[in-house]
Amino acid sequence: MRFLARRLAMLVGSLLVASFVIFGALYLAPGSALAALSGGRALPPSSVAVLNQRYHLNDPFLLQYWYWLDGVVHGNLGISITLRENVSTLIGNRIWTTAGLVLYASLIICVLGIGLGLLAGLRPGWLDTSTLVTTAVTAAIPSFVAAIVLILVFAVKLGWFPALSTGTGGGFAGDLKAFTLPAVALALSSLAIVARVTRAAIREEAEREHVQTAISRGIPMRQVIQRHILRNAAIPITTVSAITVASLIAVSAVVETAFSMNGLGAYLVQAAQSKDLAVVQGISLVLVTAFVLVNLLADLMYAVLDPRVKLGARAS
Amino acid sequence: MTRRWLRCTAALALLLAPAACGRSLSSATTSSTQPALSPTAGLVATTPAGTKQVASMTWAVYRDVNSLDPAFAFDYPENTAISLMCESLLRQQPNGSLAPGLATMTTQSPTKLVFTIKQGATFWDGNPVTPADVVYSLQRQQNPALGGFYGQVFTRVKSIAATGADQVTLTLSQPDYWLPGELSSMGGVIIEKAFATKQGKNYGTPAGSIMCTGDYQLKSWTPGVGVTAVVNPGYWNKSVKPMVQQIVLKGVPDATSLTSGMLTGAIGGSYYFGLSSLNQLRDSKNVKVYEGPGWETDAFVVSATSGPLTNVKVRQALSLALNRQSIINQVYSGAALTPRWLANPGTFGYGTSVFNTAYDSSPAMKQDVAAATKLVQQAGAAGQTITIGTSSQISSIAAEAGAYQAAAEAIGLKVKLDSVSADNYINFFTSASARKGVDGFITVNYGDYADPAALLATVALPGGSQNYDSYSNPQITSLLEQARGTADASVRASLVAKAEKLAAQQLPWIPSAQPTNVLMLNSSLTGAVGSFAYMFAPWADNLGGK
Repeated sequence: MRFLARRLAMLVGSLLVASFVIFGALYLAPGSALAALSGGRALPPSSVAVLNQRYHLNDPFLLQYWYWLDGVVHGNLGISITLRENVSTLIGNRIWTTAGLVLYASLIICVLGIGLGLLAGLRPGWLDTSTLVTTAVTAAIPSFVAAIVLILVFAVKLGWFPALSTGTGGGFAGDLKAFTLPAVALALSSLAIVARVTRAAIREEAEREHVQTAISRGIPMRQVIQRHILRNAAIPITTVSAITVASLIAVSAVVETAFSMNGLGAYLVQAAQSKDLAVVQGISLVLVTAFVLVNLLADLMYAVLDPRVKLGARAS
Repeated sequence: MTRRWLRCTAALALLLAPAACGRSLSSATTSSTQPALSPTAGLVATTPAGTKQVASMTWAVYRDVNSLDPAFAFDYPENTAISLMCESLLRQQPNGSLAPGLATMTTQSPTKLVFTIKQGATFWDGNPVTPADVVYSLQRQQNPALGGFYGQVFTRVKSIAATGADQVTLTLSQPDYWLPGELSSMGGVIIEKAFATKQGKNYGTPAGSIMCTGDYQLKSWTPGVGVTAVVNPGYWNKSVKPMVQQIVLKGVPDATSLTSGMLTGAIGGSYYFGLSSLNQLRDSKNVKVYEGPGWETDAFVVSATSGPLTNVKVRQALSLALNRQSIINQVYSGAALTPRWLANPGTFGYGTSVFNTAYDSSPAMKQDVAAATKLVQQAGAAGQTITIGTSSQISSIAAEAGAYQAAAEAIGLKVKLDSVSADNYINFFTSASARKGVDGFITVNYGDYADPAALLATVALPGGSQNYDSYSNPQITSLLEQARGTADASVRASLVAKAEKLAAQQLPWIPSAQPTNVLMLNSSLTGAVGSFAYMFAPWADNLGGK
């Protein structure tokens, strides 16, 4: 309980610091939220003055931050300047796209990445070598390149998957189809890294003395793998999986843009470009929360996997 | 890579249907001796009307729609959405001319415009369009407290009043023949008073809704997903029968996404601008790319208040040294014309024969580095430095700034590039401090209606909204002011033409290219408006399947 309370306090602290830093960075960046409305033509000065006043754009920095913070404490994330709509509604519209995409990609990473790593680690030979080679290549492919190649091959040439999500919501099967290419593009390089780390962890554990002893004492291989190799290899695998999954939340912006999906990441980029402060802040809060939660989940899993890990122990 | 329509000579286009200007004619002769031929011949203002019903299609805009309120529509996505569903008092025709829209206009005196609302005109909810709605809509645009973008348009309007059961009279402080053009654009869109007052500040936002009169009505709007418009079954003008039951306007910011969407048919059509993969789409069997008359000008904004560019000879030299063909090929994949004036010839919406004759007698802006070098030497500017504002993150801007850099260096000027991030490029237009020390930057700009004066006035009139260098030329000012107060279209056109000819010599801005309006459609569809008029008037009336 105390562990959870402490983590919760840490979450609130991270959110406060992150929101302040992001607000400050955007405030300092040149440009105005109004400029984004005009698409590069000059707005009449009179309407600029009216709108500046309406959205407190000329108030001092701390006062603007206070307006925002006060709203958040009262459950109001503020209003988007470009859309004149509540930020919470705007986030609500998009959150499931990003959640679905990240979950789908995480699933691919965990199942395929860990699976491939296990196979390669336990079965040296051609499978191991080919896994090593392919993962070396895919680990180096950034997701925006993967997205372009996947669209070209599977959407434009073969026509198996849609090239962009048209947002019409075609039921579960339709959504699954629409999300497959983006999820693969998002998962590809992380998948390779997870596979390689898994393989290395398995190899390392398999060569440890207690494993060799167990094998020499004639304990069945199956039991050796389950009890001695996997159990110990699980910690590094969990760590790398958690880090990559958490990073997907940030990388999803690239893939969402490439596939024209209405996700939070793509919207964050767009809002930051148009200096729509309340939206940037709102999405950042969601993303930071998700990041902290994924890491919390990983910590909890350590405790389950390895009784020696005590929850709430001080970080060394 | 000069292709298709551009290569078609004007003479051939007169003899043959515009559609015959295909690739097969690309080797046609390129000059014509007949005077006063239309400089936009061969461009398609309208595409053949559709004949088949279509259930639903996705239409791409370059980013999400931000507002459906005409007072806040200032960029492509908002204009595309509002012009699809809403109507103005007057209507811009695809060829740029003005026609009656929701009302017919009669000029009782030079300072008294009377608008008579069309009989039977109704909003989507079935309520008739009343003078009260018209007065409300126009006064709402005027109201400074709203912070709308079109308040300036009404500077010469003294009063707006209902003067009959179906009549609204605008009384002007002085004659203003630019006002009808504005009233055919976003400034003249009519919305329902009762509905809009009830919506208050939610009007036109995703949280609220809108009430217009067009043949398409708003079904839903989810930011990120798109604006969904469906056919309005009770449309008041029974001669218009829209064929696409549902149009989803979707923001597609990524060019790769747009290209693959068009190639696979996920996107049915778009008025996408400056697309680098245009040739790929032209070559595809699934897509048909049209070029129509454009209202836009791609130009170098002169913002220098001191230094070499304040000297007209240096501006002329820079213009002479510029390789415009490389800009047209690189940035527009051929979809642009070589400029003669600051205005795009697509804007000749009235006095067309006067404009055509004047335009024809103006020289095309050709490259002549030797003459340009001489001019720089005469001006004593050789070795001086100009600073060009650019953004290396926007490839089209960077390419054009590069072309200007090459031109300046070829004639003995030194060039400094002031490169900012893509997001901050906009500050050159909005912030005087960002422009400080910058002598010029690239823009693509347009007026709200088809009139060469619409853009020139913002650039060259003292106090004009885009007159960044406080440019003033008494002759241009007087010609434009006269034109604004001249009733006769031909006389007005000849005044504007004179101003344009002067501007082409004096170069308050340096025109780089005149983009044509690019319309891309899935090859199973046809009928969308081909010209830039789509930005201001309904464009899907005839859209349908082939």
